[in-house]
Amino acid sequence: MTRTTIVAAAFVLAASTAMAGEHFGRESIEKSGYQGPETCEECHPGTAKAFLDTVHWKHESKVTNVDGIDPKKPYGMKNRIYVMCNGNDIVNNLKEIPKSPETGKTKFSGCNTCHPGNHLSDVGSTGPEAEKAIDCLVCHSSDYDFSKRKPYKDEQGRIVMGQDRSTKAALAIGKPSVKNCMVCHEAAGGGYVVKRGFSFTKDTDVHAAKGMVCVDCHKAKHHKIPTGLDPNNWANDGVRISCADASCHGDKPHKDADLNRHIAKIACQTCHIPRTGGAFAKDFTVWTQTADKFYEPTTLKKEANETTPVYAWYNGTVANTPHFIGPKGSRKDGKSKIMPFKIFQGKAFYNAKSGELLSMDFAPPMASGDTRGGVESAARTLGLKNPEQVAKSAVPGWQTIYFGSNHLVTKGKALSCANCHAPNGVLNFKNLGYSDKEIVRLTTPELYLKQLVEKQKEEW
Amino acid sequence: MKKTISTLFVAAVVALGLASSACAEDVKFVGVITKIEIAGKDAKTATATVKDNGSGTPVLVTVNDDLTLDKFKDHRIVEGDEIRCKYETAAGKNVSKLFRKTAGC
Repeated sequence: MTRTTIVAAAFVLAASTAMAGEHFGRESIEKSGYQGPETCEECHPGTAKAFLDTVHWKHESKVTNVDGIDPKKPYGMKNRIYVMCNGNDIVNNLKEIPKSPETGKTKFSGCNTCHPGNHLSDVGSTGPEAEKAIDCLVCHSSDYDFSKRKPYKDEQGRIVMGQDRSTKAALAIGKPSVKNCMVCHEAAGGGYVVKRGFSFTKDTDVHAAKGMVCVDCHKAKHHKIPTGLDPNNWANDGVRISCADASCHGDKPHKDADLNRHIAKIACQTCHIPRTGGAFAKDFTVWTQTADKFYEPTTLKKEANETTPVYAWYNGTVANTPHFIGPKGSRKDGKSKIMPFKIFQGKAFYNAKSGELLSMDFAPPMASGDTRGGVESAARTLGLKNPEQVAKSAVPGWQTIYFGSNHLVTKGKALSCANCHAPNGVLNFKNLGYSDKEIVRLTTPELYLKQLVEKQKEEW
Repeated sequence: MKKTISTLFVAAVVALGLASSACAEDVKFVGVITKIEIAGKDAKTATATVKDNGSGTPVLVTVNDDLTLDKFKDHRIVEGDEIRCKYETAAGKNVSKLFRKTAGC
């Protein structure tokens, strides 16, 4: 048997095993157990090192579409200061918070609890130790025991994030399921659907109802995950996602030519994502005490699909000031489309001298409600001059953020002609830049009457 | 006549039952899980005992939805977690309609 034949035979075997849904390395894992990434590397060499160069590991990337930041420097959850989180991986690093004065108890908390490392090798770390620390199974196993993924103190007093590296979990690996993604993404921002406002279930999203999983659209290559141009989701792996990809819906997704004409100016999401959810307001200056006597930021929130989005022109570039993060664009720039956004407003402390938004270390307010203590601690970590004075003189203020509304996709409950083309309809044409004369033309049944009458006949 | 009256009586009882179940109001509360009872990996139902933060009393909640059951099975939700719960009472059981952890990152 020639070498080529052996390789070909192995390839066919691997392909048929994969098609049968069984991992090719199963036998080896059963025999030798699972030792972490080095086990994966036996068949996927170089993958661990490559993973260290992704946003999931670094929590930041260069960002070129946002005002007011340096396009040569990286930004993301690691270092951003804004009012959905107000902390970040640097100032609110996973730690044991001070004891509650009421109960004497402490707990672990930090923004980077979802980072797929072990905390000793943390956000953005590199080198052999970092490669060994990757928690491959938290994203790839369907039988991961999350009771093992908890922070604890090792014998040297260092905070370590536990991992399930059992053979049982390793034998259940495959393409990430919805659960693998949502275990982190649904709890971002301080609780269930708080940040993004969506769940991905058969009841809430037409893609999920068809049995699709997150990575069917967010199709990764070398662990680089394509994402959309959400005005508030800055860090990216340099690959983008679009409903209009030829392999998905293409540029003429409807049978009706009139609907297809809309695509030039109206994003798919505008009609097909008529609802949103999640947190709509938070106050980081006053925290609320919870049953365990610790404190959490005061938050107003709704379930997925319980609130309505706002609509604005968006050309993919982002306005970014201490009081506003949101879409830029207009009906006349030739690049913008009308898109839906989840509006969020957060109150936090601003620097009394510079007017810049300040960040917060959550440890002090979580333990005792001392929010200015959190500002002081963050200011110290970031090397600000006179952190005590910065915190003392800090001024409360609000920031408004437009989050992209890109999930909760519906076909059956999509907006129809009359939802927008009517007086006081879903779209506020005045705010979108249309003249009174244009609005009269845009809000009459004359536009769709004949067509919908025909459709009505077909339906009844 | 007797038959007609008894038919009407049965109809009235059924209608009353339907009306009262339609009017059954959801109960919402926040509390800490003190116990989760689930019978194995293939269980289709579980019972969680949750101590209501407001009243301090334990509430027995029956959980049937796959998503929450899966979270019990792989320990994404465990005893000691604070949860937000909405349930309705049917056939003497508090059946969960929403069961979410309050915490996030």
